[in-house]
Parts: sequence; C-alpha cells; structure tokens
Amino acid sequence: MSQEIISQVSSYLTSNVPVIPISQGAEAVVFTTTIHPYAPSNNNTDESIKYILKYRPPKKYRHPSIDKALTKHRTLSESRILAKLSQISGLHVPKLIACDVYNGCIWIEFLGEELPNGSGFSSLKNYLWMCVLDPYSKMVEDTLVKVGYQIGLLHWNDYCHGDLTTSNVVLQNSGTHWEPYLIDFGLGSASTLVEDKGVDLYVLERAVNSTHSRYAEKYSQWLMQGYKEVYEKQSKKGQNKLRDVLKRFEEVRLRGRKRSMLG
Amino acid sequence: MVNLNKVLPRNGRDYYLALGLEGSANKLGVGIIKHPLLPKHADSDLSHHCELEILANIRDTYVTPPGEGFLPRDTARHHRNWAVRLVRKALQEAGIDHPSELDTICFTKGPGMGAPLHSVVVMARTLSLLWDVPLVGVNHCVGHIEMGREITKAENPVVLYVSGGNTQVIAYSENRYRIFGETLDIAIGNCLDRFARTLKIPNEPSPGYNIEQLALKCTNKDYLVELPYTVKGMDLSMSGILGYVDSLSKDLFNHNTKNKLLFDPKTGEQLVTVSDLCYSLQENLFAMLVEITERAMAHVNSNQVLIVGGVGCNVRLQEMMASMCRDRSNGQVHATDERFCIDNGVMIAQAGLLQYRMGNAVQDLADTVVTQKFRTDEVYVAWRE
Repeated sequence: MSQEIISQVSSYLTSNVPVIPISQGAEAVVFTTTIHPYAPSNNNTDESIKYILKYRPPKKYRHPSIDKALTKHRTLSESRILAKLSQISGLHVPKLIACDVYNGCIWIEFLGEELPNGSGFSSLKNYLWMCVLDPYSKMVEDTLVKVGYQIGLLHWNDYCHGDLTTSNVVLQNSGTHWEPYLIDFGLGSASTLVEDKGVDLYVLERAVNSTHSRYAEKYSQWLMQGYKEVYEKQSKKGQNKLRDVLKRFEEVRLRGRKRSMLG
Repeated sequence: MVNLNKVLPRNGRDYYLALGLEGSANKLGVGIIKHPLLPKHADSDLSHHCELEILANIRDTYVTPPGEGFLPRDTARHHRNWAVRLVRKALQEAGIDHPSELDTICFTKGPGMGAPLHSVVVMARTLSLLWDVPLVGVNHCVGHIEMGREITKAENPVVLYVSGGNTQVIAYSENRYRIFGETLDIAIGNCLDRFARTLKIPNEPSPGYNIEQLALKCTNKDYLVELPYTVKGMDLSMSGILGYVDSLSKDLFNHNTKNKLLFDPKTGEQLVTVSDLCYSLQENLFAMLVEITERAMAHVNSNQVLIVGGVGCNVRLQEMMASMCRDRSNGQVHATDERFCIDNGVMIAQAGLLQYRMGNAVQDLADTVVTQKFRTDEVYVAWRE
C-alpha cells in the first residue's frame, strides 16, 4: 500500500485518530481505528472495540472532475444504502456510523475475524479456500445457502449490490455456524428493475467461477438455493418475481460477447 | 511442472521454427520465430521465458478512406492479394531457404471477422500441404497474451486486452485465461474507430492514433465534457457513450446553437472543439478501463498489469494505468509497442509454438475450420501450471 495514501488519511483525520491500514481494495483503502467519531471519550484503550474506516483516495489516473463526481456519488450512495439496509430485519450489513462524502470517508462497524490456521481474514473467499480440503462439507453448504439467502433478501427489498464477489461477503462466527454479512455497497443501488438483479447474480456467478473454478457449479447451486428460499417464502407474488429475475439472469448470461452458441 | 519439450524440433535441430499467420481483422501479419530447445523447459513453468528470437515480423494493413470502416469482403480480398507476397518476404528476411524446415505453421482460428479469417486459413492449409508442416490453430486473444508475456517477462499479470474487436480483463487460473470483466456491447477500439468515422478523420495510420493526437491538442484540459460513466460491476458498456458523443459532434458540425453544452446560449459562441470531445472521450473511456482492471487486480491479489491489443499502444492509457499501479504496493505495468501490440504474425506463432511444443498440433485438416466466436476461456492452456 502506498505511503502517500496513508499520509493523506492521517492528515485528514489529524493525529487524534490513529488508523491501521488493513486492506486495499480496488477503489477504497480500509483502515481500523479504535476511535468513535461521536462518542464523548477518546480514551478508548480497549483494543477489542474497533471501527472500520473506509477511505476513497482521489484517483490520480482519472480526470479530477470524473474523480470528484464518482467519489462523492459512491460514498454518498454507499452510506445511504447502508443506512436503509440496516433497517431491514434479517438482513446483515455493517452499521453505518458516520460519513463525509466530499472527502470520501465513511465509518462503519467492524466485522469478521481471523480464520483458524492462518487462512486469513474471514471473507467468504478465504473461507472457501480454507475449506478446500473438504469443499462439499455440510458446513460449506450451510454457509453458502445463508449467503444466498442474504442476497435474496437484499433483492427482495429492491436493492442491488453491484459488485457481488466472494471477497465482498464477510463471515462472523456465531459459535455453531458462520453468519454472512454483505459488505462494500460502493456500487449498490435501490432498484426495482429485474435487469439490475439479473446483472448482480451474473456478476456473482462469474466471480465464483473465476475464483473457485473447480467447485463453482455446486457453490453456485447452493447460493441459488438460499436465494430462492427468500422468494419462495412469499406468496404468489414472490414466485412471479423470482421467475422474472431468473429469466433475466439467463438472458444476461447469454449477453456476453462472442459466447459460444454450444453451451 | 510443465514439459515444454514434449515434441522435439524437426531434423534433430536444437531450435524450433514457427510461422504465424494472422488476419482476423484489417491487418495481415506474417511472423517467423525461433525458440531454442533448452533443458530448463522440460520441467518448469517458464512459458514466458522461451528466449524467443524474432526472425521476421511483417504486417500489411488494409486502410480505408476517412469516414469508412473496413468491410469483411474487401478486407478478405486484401489478405488474399497480399498473403503470398508477405510470406515470401518473411521467409527471405528470416533467411529460410527450405520452408519444410519449419516445425509448425500457426494461424488464427478466431475470434475475428469470418471472411478475412477464412482467406488466411486457406493460405495456411495450402502451405501446410505444400511443405508438409503441421498446423496449429490459435485463439487470437491468447496470442496477444502470450506475446505480451514473452516480451515483457510478466509472470502472472492481470491482462487488459483492448483492441478493435475485444475489451476484456483477463486473469489466469487453473489452465484457463479467465475473463473477469468485458464489454457488454461494443469494443473500445470499435468505439474509437466509429467516433473517428463520425469526425471524418483519416484511418491512417490508425483511427485511434489520430484521436489520441487530436486529444493532445485540447487546450483546456481542466474542463471535461461530461459523458456517461457506465461501469457495471466488472463489466462496462460503451455503445451509449458512443451514441451520445456522436450526437454531440453532429451538433457541433451542424452548428446547432440550441445545444447549450456546446454553444453559449446568449452569444452563440462555440465552447467546445473537436479536440475537447476527443480528450473527454478518451479520459472517460480509459478511466472506466483502468477502474475495472484495478478491480480485477484487487480481486485476484495481483500487482502486475499487462496491456495488450491495438488500443494498448495509446500512451495516455499506459500513463493512466501506470498512475493507478503507483498507488498499489509493488504495482507494475507492462506494455509493448506497436510492433507487438497491434495484431501481428509473431504473436500467433508464439502462442501456436507453445501449443505445438505441448503436442497439440492439428491432426486432421477438418479441424482447421475458423470461427468468428471463440472465447478466451475456451482454450485449455496446457503450457502453464
């Protein structure tokens, strides 16, 4: 990670808010901090209470006017969506704490943990790689069905994620099982369109295919099983909506260019 | 470990010779390459370190007048007319007196325009029968990737493949070049070419190059004509941008003073020039490309990018990519120049020879049918781990 970005953040936050960089995604850098932006006392010494600070650094490669517009738009929409989603019962997303859209900065709840045996942070991607010795175990199935359920719930409430990959799902160990949380709503949107949902599912399917190629078929099947569960619980209306989304999903899949007509 | 020496060179030589024929679009390329036979290749993952020697790299481009694109039928005729001359010249340049010394003849199997592909494969089959040399059919995209890897020595990069017919972000995983993101409609080169056609600027040396030069002339680089920014997850869409920028340029040419983006509503003064449009279009499109590339890099945890394909010659795109990589730890950009970026015969020979060395030559002429649709991820990449 470039030192420049870290110093940018530090100068923006001042020395009162110490941050530790944890990862660099495509468009944002993620830090942890022990400081709550609004809590009265800044003398939090309890290391276990952590918050995530997500910072979108200005991208020098793109024109400043594109950059400004995108940073503001994405930070704002991410904050809005997180705020709305946390009101939906059953849906697991990190809680929003604060946001500053012009500087591309948001404060959210810390989620996830270290996986056992040095398998890294508990994103779904690392988890699936950790489970690669027994890829079809009941535990993996349960987790994936749960992930699918979360995505279904998101879509049922007419929201789309926009960048569903296995690294954008974080797992929390709740003793007996792994509870998935959807993170990174930077490309998310509120949408009633089947198109956006179809694209969402397609992006997910491709991400699974490319990062977990060998087991992708089964994984996708489990994800879809959980996804369908949400709709099927609803009345006739749910069934109809599900049919529309799945139909569009098929269409989106065929839309890629130069796709062979055989399969 | 991969054994690249499965098939030994002909006549007990200590090197391989391959002829590559490329003609999937308006360029006809003939390349001849040489790989030394090295013991280290018998048991390693060094397909990007073949110690390639280029004996000939000849290309002829079918250039159309300003405002026109190349039609399949005319392009195919161009290729037919030039094929024999180019192959002769290449053999002469490479100093090969007896073409039957060649280990293999490689041709583009797809993707591309049907008619031009077909002209070239007829040439390849004829030469193969004439000289009794086995054929290898090559995926055009894989050709670009292997060429880029060999030239830049990038070991396992995320590949941005941008050309007139393709826009893909590719990463290698488990014997396939997997497509992470791609265009949902038209390719970036196509978008630039068609905009060049609307502007009626010359197609010589290439429409994209002329747009790049016009963009350099833009005087007010702080101002950007706002264009749609259409990234959909890892994918992007460009037909809407083209339609919009086309309509802007038409308003500009027709002096439609009602368009407030282009003309001052009170004085009727022109606010935007053709250069400004070119500049804005490039900035916008390339920002989208760099963004999806960065997304793929973050996803596969890679810090190298390799830019291949005709649009990859664009200096501005390379600059933007380099700037993105500077902000990532150990980020590196690998790009090649026009000799290797733009379609050429050498890249087909390189990918084809790798395939041949793994023992995948065509057994039956019936398997040499070319195809317009041939996805990058359909190819089984036997020569990598």
